[in-house]
Amino acid sequence: MQEKTLGDYIITVDGISKTFPNGVCALCDFTTKIRRREVVVVIGPSGSGKSTFLRCLNGLEDIDSGSIVIDGIPLDDNKKNRLEIRKEVGMVFQLFNLFPHMTVLENVNLAQRLVRKKTKEGARQATMDLLNKVGMPEKATSYPSQLSGGQQQRVAIARALAMMPKIMLFDEATSALDPEMIGEVLDVMKTLAREGMTMVVVTHEMGFAREVSDRVIFIEEGRIVEEGTAEHFFTNPREERTKLFLSQIL
Amino acid sequence: MNAHTHQFLKRSLSNLKRSPLVDVVKFSLLIMAIVWFMARGTERLGYNWQWYRVPQYLFSFKDAHLVVGPLLQGVKVTFHITSVSLLLAFAIGLVAALFRMSNSFVARILARGYLELIRNTPLLVQLFFMYFVLAPILDISRMASAILALSLFEGAYASEIFRAGIVSIHRGQWEAAHSLGLSTFDTYQYIILPQAVRRILPPLTSQAISLIKDSALVSTIAIYDLTMQGSAIISETFLTFEIWFTVASIYLLITVSLSIVVNIMEDRLRVEA
Repeated sequence: MQEKTLGDYIITVDGISKTFPNGVCALCDFTTKIRRREVVVVIGPSGSGKSTFLRCLNGLEDIDSGSIVIDGIPLDDNKKNRLEIRKEVGMVFQLFNLFPHMTVLENVNLAQRLVRKKTKEGARQATMDLLNKVGMPEKATSYPSQLSGGQQQRVAIARALAMMPKIMLFDEATSALDPEMIGEVLDVMKTLAREGMTMVVVTHEMGFAREVSDRVIFIEEGRIVEEGTAEHFFTNPREERTKLFLSQIL
Repeated sequence: MNAHTHQFLKRSLSNLKRSPLVDVVKFSLLIMAIVWFMARGTERLGYNWQWYRVPQYLFSFKDAHLVVGPLLQGVKVTFHITSVSLLLAFAIGLVAALFRMSNSFVARILARGYLELIRNTPLLVQLFFMYFVLAPILDISRMASAILALSLFEGAYASEIFRAGIVSIHRGQWEAAHSLGLSTFDTYQYIILPQAVRRILPPLTSQAISLIKDSALVSTIAIYDLTMQGSAIISETFLTFEIWFTVASIYLLITVSLSIVVNIMEDRLRVEA
């Protein structure tokens, strides 16, 4: 893998906390900074707050305290700021969440037309380029229900990329897939990482973490237990808790 | 009887059960039973049936010109009232549903109040209230008050149908639209409503059929719809059963055609999705 240089900080998360109505602390005084072009893999047991962290980054969840700044824009109550951040941050979900009543082409076109105000032809061109990139240009006129899980997830990635986001969030993007389809989605994600996309990835795919991540964060009970390079995690984890977790999933 | 013949009889019996002939026989028996009951019923009634007098109230010919009879004129009025009310009711229902789910406290209270008020009082009372109390204040016609009362009434039920349809859409659809930067309005227009409509088409059709039948109540404020025309003819001719059965058949014809149209629509939509 050729060396890439990381840029300035594009995500600044400062002491955010989020408590669910049942009193469980999903994120407790959580602080981290992410650089441009950095690929951060977030791991942790279920219910540890890793998905919540990801969802806070594009405003899907509100935080109780602390601050999040994305590319210089504070994620606060200002609606305009929030919209701006939603446009700049793409997200890929565990269950794909494609729009089932639209073809693949329409799924990927929609936000380009409505939000980026592209012409029909311009959007179509960009969509076909993206479908080429995720390796399924021949499926443009199919409906999501006619695709396999892996294909649906690749379309979902294309749909998020169509907004030309500065940051991509992946929320357990391969967890709902049959084993033989995980590879095709991870390949697309790896390509993105190599192209210098800033990525925050919640996953259990340690192979992916080892291969492309710049940093791994291990979260439990809303706090960072340990962070470091993938190399550090797999050869020489510091915390007992980390060792235990890794021994369970590897 | 040996085991072999037993097996044979069993097999022929099960073949017979599956034959279309059995369905035909069952259906004929049902029809015969119905006809028998009706014949017995009318016999007991001692009613003098005069069906031959009915067609003139539907249409007649004068100098080789087709003249539309009072019943068909009534159908025209019923069509007018129901079609306008239907559109209004769905619009009101959609707005009320969106209000009910909005972030604004006032909008939610407003929608809730409207729903409970309308749903828990009789349509007849609402119709009278609209016509005798509100119409003079608002200075609206008999027809307008009838349409308004019907739309408000059916709109309340439609709003619950819309709401059910909208909340049935998976949260992930909202989240995907949100993460793509779509506005709430665009999300409703392009993502949520197109999917919700497919799901609520059957209950919405029931509501439309209710509206068509409920529209008969406008005869109480002397609007000459199908029902009013029917009762006017009866008071002149005493053809009670003939006319009411005719009126009922016309309502049936309208509602069944509507059901068929919606069925076709549903099939089309399903293929798309």
